[in-house]
Amino acid sequence: MSAAVVSTVGNSALTISSLDLPMTQIWVYLSGSPLFALIITLLAYQVGLTIYLKSNRNPLANPVAIAVCGVASILLLLDMPYATYFEGAQFVHFLLGTATVSLAVPIYRGYTLLKRRIFPLLLALLLGGTVSVVTAVGVASLMGADAAIVGAMIPKSVTAPIAMGVAERIDVSPTLTAVFAVITGIIGASIGSQILNLLGMKAWWQRGFAMGVAAHGIGTSRAFIVHPLAGTYASLAMGMHGVIGALLIPLILPYFRF
Amino acid sequence: MIAGLAQILFWQGVGELVSKFLFPNLPGPVWGLIFLLSFLILRGHVNDSLAQVADAFSQHLGILFVPAAVGVILFLPQLKTHGFAIIIALGLSVALTIAVTACVLRWISADADEEQS
Repeated sequence: MSAAVVSTVGNSALTISSLDLPMTQIWVYLSGSPLFALIITLLAYQVGLTIYLKSNRNPLANPVAIAVCGVASILLLLDMPYATYFEGAQFVHFLLGTATVSLAVPIYRGYTLLKRRIFPLLLALLLGGTVSVVTAVGVASLMGADAAIVGAMIPKSVTAPIAMGVAERIDVSPTLTAVFAVITGIIGASIGSQILNLLGMKAWWQRGFAMGVAAHGIGTSRAFIVHPLAGTYASLAMGMHGVIGALLIPLILPYFRF
Repeated sequence: MIAGLAQILFWQGVGELVSKFLFPNLPGPVWGLIFLLSFLILRGHVNDSLAQVADAFSQHLGILFVPAAVGVILFLPQLKTHGFAIIIALGLSVALTIAVTACVLRWISADADEEQS
């Protein structure tokens, strides 16, 4: 009987206070559940995607970059700690691993192409991957960037979901790595075609593969827009770079620790 | 679609176990990728359900790293100080990587002209 009394009191208290301060109540409820983080993440990405499509798929209007800026501004405006946001958004974050596994499908589709050209593709990937790490780390440390930034540059040309796993293994910030990976992708997708034209590269498979090695997923979606064959080779390059980078970077790095 | 997702999650789980208990030098999802790829090569084809899920993921891969990348707000002061160095380093690195990869491929393969069009 006493339980019934308590629950009636509880209910009426809730009704009164939600009438008194509805906005605050709603806010307290929403910000405490994963819903708010999920909603702003999906909405910000949808806004980014709409802007990207409206801009005729201009690589500078990258939907991920727009979404990150959007969510970051909301958090700063509301004074919401990043940890609180991430607690809710971790459901999206978890799927990164699942998406990494599913990369096996595009790699498998490119496998028939890979079999014929495995030697040139592997050699180009190893040299290109080495150049990407050495130049980024070299230039950043020459220009006086601190160790956290220089370290996060190491896996940045590997596709972001794998790069973040590699970052954890070599003790650098996965967040900075993800940010550098996205910026790298945007730069590659924006200037890649011009560089390849300047070099007089004609074969689509070579152009695509170079884009995939240097600019992973964002470069790959750019390559698909330019030519389907370039896109196929770019996704193959992205997958190979992901697997080989994840294998070699943690193995080789101890010999070069600065 | 569910069958495909279950298959991917299964390999991810196997990958996590292998990474945790046997070979910790590769992240679990990368092991999962290698297992699924080997499975597909042995089997010889991709079933529709799996293809659907994989295509959905690769089409919207971008949204999945938003939560982690928003962590950039924790590094804002550092990024402001070194912003110029970061952009120059990333820009040069991307440009040289594209150039080197493309030139190596052109230099090494004589059949370059077969597949133009």
